[in-house]
Amino acid sequence: MEERLYDLIFIVRPATPEEEIKKVLTSLEHACAEKGAKIEKSEHWGTRKLAYKVMKHREGIYLYQQVRTTHGELVHELERRLGVQDSVIKYQTVRLDEDLKRQKKLSQKREQRAARRPRRTAPAPQQPAVAEQAAE
Amino acid sequence: MSEEQKQPQAPAAAPAAPQGEGAPRREGESGGGGQGQSQSGPRREGGHSGGPRREGGPGGGRREGGPGGPGGPGGRPRGKRQYFRKKKVCKFCVEKMDFIDYKRADILAQFVQERGKILPRRMTGVCSRHQRWLGVAIKRARNIALLPFAGSAAGVQAPRAIEAPKQ
Repeated sequence: MEERLYDLIFIVRPATPEEEIKKVLTSLEHACAEKGAKIEKSEHWGTRKLAYKVMKHREGIYLYQQVRTTHGELVHELERRLGVQDSVIKYQTVRLDEDLKRQKKLSQKREQRAARRPRRTAPAPQQPAVAEQAAE
Repeated sequence: MSEEQKQPQAPAAAPAAPQGEGAPRREGESGGGGQGQSQSGPRREGGHSGGPRREGGPGGGRREGGPGGPGGPGGRPRGKRQYFRKKKVCKFCVEKMDFIDYKRADILAQFVQERGKILPRRMTGVCSRHQRWLGVAIKRARNIALLPFAGSAAGVQAPRAIEAPKQ
């Protein structure tokens, strides 16, 4: 199976001690290690204001992780572990690789177009720029 | 309303009836919001002059979104309107973004109303492709409480925040 990239964001209660956050993170790491998945990024965004109330909290500690895996069931397992934890008030997993693939494709196209342009349009550089805007 | 109802009943006024109906319908549509009402003004002016009626509609809408003045000055240069129109360019195209990240709430917040509504393309000038991606990104950000769902405005939250610590 192909590799997939997932974004995993979860929000912890603002009063959670550091040790408990670490516990949650290590349990996620264990789950990933079991399935042979890689945690590519792990970020601590700190306390942020929530856009709306979540479990009567107005603030929360955001934690962000990027996981690359070939096993789709891992997402279920990660979400199950987050759901069990009382300190975690919200979580979301988003599949990213398809979007990134599209991004890569488009930026490649753009580069190709940019590379082609100077050769062809030495006399009138303004016209293709207008045409590109209209096309987009 | 009573006068309009009488018109279709009278058989002699048959050709006049569709006109009578047509006018109030437009009013009903434009009466939905304050913005719509201000749009209806220039539209009718365009209708009188004949040709540029269709151009008048979007032109009025753009003027609202942009920094230009309200309907008053817009009526003056009717023939020269095209010169005043400022073409909006898609912000994401300018910056050559091929991917709109739902985690960048600061960017997404520019395309959302205060109460969390996604702004229409005619206001922001975003191209259709990027608007599609933007919609997805905003919805993802809403799910993880980076952006509000429609209804929970910052103005409503502020007074409640004082009560929150008591709980």
